[in-house]
Amino acid sequence: MSTPLLKVENLSIAFGGLKAVDQLSFEMNEGEIYGIIGPNGAGKTTAFNCITQFYKPDAGQVLFKTKEDNVVNLVGKKAHHIIELGLVRTFQNVELIVSLSVIENLLVGAHTAFKTSLFSQILKLPKARREERALRDRAEAVLADLGLLHLKDMPALMQPYGIQKRIELGRTLMLDPKLIILDEPAAGLNDVETAALVQTVKDISTRYKCGILLIEHDMNFVSSICERICAISFGKMIAIGTPDEIKAHPAVQEAYLGKDDE
Amino acid sequence: MRKLLDRYKRSRPYSDYLVFGILLACAPLLVELGVLRFFQLTLIAGVIVYAIVTLGLNLLMGYGGLFSLGTAAFMGLGAYFTAFFTGNLSWGFLPSIIVTVAITAILGMVVGLLASRVEGFFLAMATLAVAEILRQVFIEWTWFTNSFVGARADFPTFFSFTMNRNQTFVLLVVFLVIAMFVTHSIANSYTGRALSAMRGSEAAAAAMGINIFKYRIVAFSISTAYAGLGGALLMHFIRFTEPNAWIFTLSLMLFAAVVIGGVRSVSGSVLGAFVVFGVPPLILQNLPVIGDVNGLAFIFTGVLIIIVAMYYPAGLVYVWHDLKKLVYKARAKWGRKV
Repeated sequence: MSTPLLKVENLSIAFGGLKAVDQLSFEMNEGEIYGIIGPNGAGKTTAFNCITQFYKPDAGQVLFKTKEDNVVNLVGKKAHHIIELGLVRTFQNVELIVSLSVIENLLVGAHTAFKTSLFSQILKLPKARREERALRDRAEAVLADLGLLHLKDMPALMQPYGIQKRIELGRTLMLDPKLIILDEPAAGLNDVETAALVQTVKDISTRYKCGILLIEHDMNFVSSICERICAISFGKMIAIGTPDEIKAHPAVQEAYLGKDDE
Repeated sequence: MRKLLDRYKRSRPYSDYLVFGILLACAPLLVELGVLRFFQLTLIAGVIVYAIVTLGLNLLMGYGGLFSLGTAAFMGLGAYFTAFFTGNLSWGFLPSIIVTVAITAILGMVVGLLASRVEGFFLAMATLAVAEILRQVFIEWTWFTNSFVGARADFPTFFSFTMNRNQTFVLLVVFLVIAMFVTHSIANSYTGRALSAMRGSEAAAAAMGINIFKYRIVAFSISTAYAGLGGALLMHFIRFTEPNAWIFTLSLMLFAAVVIGGVRSVSGSVLGAFVVFGVPPLILQNLPVIGDVNGLAFIFTGVLIIIVAMYYPAGLVYVWHDLKKLVYKARAKWGRKV
């Protein structure tokens, strides 16, 4: 437990003159559920994209403790290499592969676990079949955990939004990740779905023994789920603490509600 | 019998492809019996070859979401290579086909590499440019292609045995069935899912560890390998080729075959190739009025394409689904009598 799971140090990125993320630093422990909050346009998603290397940060380090307990700096790695280290993400507006079925979407999440050559896939050699079978079993287990097993052969396209979000969550669980990054998981969900999501995220964290880092602007959702929160505004960190500390923090209130003129 | 039926159902759709192939392989028999005419067999052989190429193009377009307007040129390349290997170097049929497919696959990788930085319309234009360069090569490099005089090849030879026309036809059917098997396997493997992911969402694909750059090259390579195989097979059936056989129109018609038949469907590709390449000369030209006026059959194809685009944008294979639905509805309405 000594070294943190994820340690972000002085992360910065600018688009033209706009500093979208400015000297952001925070760290989270293994198995922790950690939240980043901030008003719209605070740079939350940009920060995520910098951590997962979808954007190349201008400065700073992202130190991540991998599955093999090595600490590596993610900065400079290719976006498609990140998942193999044990870090996997979801997207703000659900990026499922709509032409595939539900279970196939999960199997896309296991892509890096497939090792057989194209040749043995074409010939359906026993090796390739075993591999497909094993990962399909895994996908079914994950779907069962999320209560989606009855939908496994349905097209992902036709599922309601709440279900699509769960499928995307399931896709992240295929390879025993160490850290899952959720980009606004509660966006677009109604109150009932949000309450169910809180339970699901907690269950996932304990059952799969992974840390969860999530972005939200819904303060209630974050407070009911996260142990610690980092609040940011205009790309800068303004406070770190427990949900109660954050709610009471004057800078956070100012960022959310505006400055009190009295 | 029941056991056999169960086995058939379990190994679907492979068993369906096999039965389809066996039926198709009976076509030469119909010629011997006088039901089919000789030139019609040649047309069907053409459809078979174009179906193989359409399958490859479907993997690229339907699954990978990448465009190519250079397919015809790669078919031509396959035809010229096998003519060169079997003619000038007097290789046998099999080594020639294997080497031809390997070379076109590698050239496909190069195109994929060139195309890895451009998207959509620009990608289509880039492939078109490659195709035009290749066509110029077909015209200019006389030592290789014999230019407009044309290159020649023989029916396939295995060691000292040379096939006749009917045997070659059956060989084409065998290759089509293999191509259907292979396409179905690729589409349902992790490679197929990676291609689908690449088309569906590049961001999600990258987050799931799919190397977009690699799969673009893989998609192009597979697709041009199919085209090269198709060209080579056609060469050994028609036994003659010249540069004008591999023009842009053919690429467009193959493109149309994918769209009309059904993207992301193996049977759709075969159906599409049949509708585009088989229906006008085989059926429409034999009808009264339509067949009597020169060129009307091909105008009819154009109209057909528009109708399909309007009512079956996902492809003609879905007519089958609709028919099934009608049967179910009828059953529900009138009990099990129907």
